[in-house]
Amino acid sequence: MIPRFLLGNGRTDGGRHQASLGALAPAGVAATVVYVLFIGLPIVALLARAGQQEGFLAGLTGELVLQALRLTVLTSVVSMVVVVAVGTPFALLLARRRSTLLRVIDTFVELPIVLPPVVAGVAMLMAFGRNGLLGPALGGLGVTLPFTTAAVIFAQVFVAAPFYIRAARIGFAGVDPTYEEVSQTLGVSPWATFWRLTLPVAWPSLLTGLTLAWARAVSEFGATIMFAGNLTGRTQTMPLAIMTAMESSLGSALALAVLLLAMSALALAALSVLLRRTGSTA
Amino acid sequence: MSEQTGSNGASGHFAVSLGDFRTELAFEVDAGRILVLFGPSGAGKTTALRTIAGLVRPDAGRIDIAGRTVYEDGNGAGARPVWVEPHRRAVGYVTQQNHLFPHLTVSQNIAYGLRDRRGDSARRRVSELLERLRLDGLGDRRVWQLSGGQQQRAALARALAPRPDLLLLDEPFAALDMELRRELGSELRATVRQFDVPVILVTHSREEALALGDEVQIIDGGVTVASGPPLTALEQPGRGRVARLVGVENLLQMWVTARLPQDGTMVCAAAERQLETPLADGCAVGDPVTVGIRASDIILAAGPLPESSARNTWSGVVSSVTMRPPGYEVTLDCDGVPLRCHITGTSMEAMGIGPGLPLWAIFKASSCFLLSE
Repeated sequence: MIPRFLLGNGRTDGGRHQASLGALAPAGVAATVVYVLFIGLPIVALLARAGQQEGFLAGLTGELVLQALRLTVLTSVVSMVVVVAVGTPFALLLARRRSTLLRVIDTFVELPIVLPPVVAGVAMLMAFGRNGLLGPALGGLGVTLPFTTAAVIFAQVFVAAPFYIRAARIGFAGVDPTYEEVSQTLGVSPWATFWRLTLPVAWPSLLTGLTLAWARAVSEFGATIMFAGNLTGRTQTMPLAIMTAMESSLGSALALAVLLLAMSALALAALSVLLRRTGSTA
Repeated sequence: MSEQTGSNGASGHFAVSLGDFRTELAFEVDAGRILVLFGPSGAGKTTALRTIAGLVRPDAGRIDIAGRTVYEDGNGAGARPVWVEPHRRAVGYVTQQNHLFPHLTVSQNIAYGLRDRRGDSARRRVSELLERLRLDGLGDRRVWQLSGGQQQRAALARALAPRPDLLLLDEPFAALDMELRRELGSELRATVRQFDVPVILVTHSREEALALGDEVQIIDGGVTVASGPPLTALEQPGRGRVARLVGVENLLQMWVTARLPQDGTMVCAAAERQLETPLADGCAVGDPVTVGIRASDIILAAGPLPESSARNTWSGVVSSVTMRPPGYEVTLDCDGVPLRCHITGTSMEAMGIGPGLPLWAIFKASSCFLLSE
């Protein structure tokens, strides 16, 4: 017996597709229940435990948590500024121009998504580390990257940028260039056309990509710990702080975990609200 | 070639290459008039329009809009190269799919090209255009909430709002149904007069070219193969290639057998059949000629009309009937010469026309025209 509320009343699609599910409906419902429990149970457990854990409230306002929170917000925001500033024109070029070189580049854009973050961290050390490819040159300029806050931002940009670039490219590709041509015949320059037409039409895609990229930057761990280390107040972002706190204060670790969970949930909620608002205009 | 038209018109000549395909064209159109570029798809019509708009860069030539040179190759003596970018050309461009901006309302679309688009003058201009194009009350709608005809009107309003010096219409009605096409067509003529703007319209529909054009250029393979007033260029085309392009249904290979200067006609024959055509200079008895007759110029009758001014009456047997909306096409076999005639469904039912029925085809000498290949 399948609960009625799981099968729904067919209001969303007028019941059109319910018949097509046929004998698969019970399997689908069972899978849904299993999956929702699988994802939901740990989250509920986390929240329940946090509520009773000694030191949780103190952890929330403790120095470890506040420093990690401040650093995470700062680095992720700077990372997103970099990602948008570089990723937007890059994605536009990928969407508009067809050349063999660009197609090859296009293929490699998503490499950091599938690359283990630890590998990315090692690779960045080999490039920007003191004994890395650019190490002597950077040293000559008096610049040291590894184990600095800048290194945290490097690591976040490296792993998060593809999420934005991919979404932006799809968004821009969805704007028929004829729209841009019509805009120009109406006396609007190519630059103004980008701001008044291309960007607003591609906006939902850009926003989705930016949210995913930000979430990825905030949760970045492997590349950061390899390339930037785990220095409180300088390179210890929230995921790193959780690992450190697990050894000493479960309360602080849970506080950080709940905060990260809240931030992710808020980002997702904000995205869906914003998309719904633009959805009614697009 | 590119004599300046009145300062309100547009003219030019240019050659433009897209890959292997080359288009060469000269055009001239006055304010308040419609020049139709007519031809099959792939003829180069859209490329020509995009070149005039500045969206495609030509290889050579010169284009003037409203007395201003917007393109000049600089190859002529004393001529400097000129290139005006599309957004500085003051050209309105309406496409077949209208390309209304999906993130804006109808009013915002119309105001898009206005200088101060949130000011009072813009608001007045928008409401004026909404009214003139019968879009009153639809200004706050989203573009997908409009019908196809309303969308095309909105696209036209948007193109007209910044007072363009030239309006370019690329198959603007092709996506609409027949009835709406006629309605919008006559509206377009009135609008063009009212706004006193020169218009170049691209179409592959003969009916549209006839109904809307003040002047027609028939384009094929990237060149103009014929031009003139629509009735002359489209209804009695002078060349075989043009005749096939504009769809003259009957093209008969015949010989001149007699000249009748007193009637202003001559007699042509093929197989057992003969007919009278208007007298043509430079045609001697015995010369081969191609005679064109439009299917809609032929009257079908159950018997020969006893007294009639029509000079040509052929008997034949119906060999096939095919649907050709809004009516039918009847092919008559006249001793081996097929003759195609257009009739309405009502006539077909009333006369009981079907294959095997003997019928008479009646047509005037002036409906026959000679084609030179």
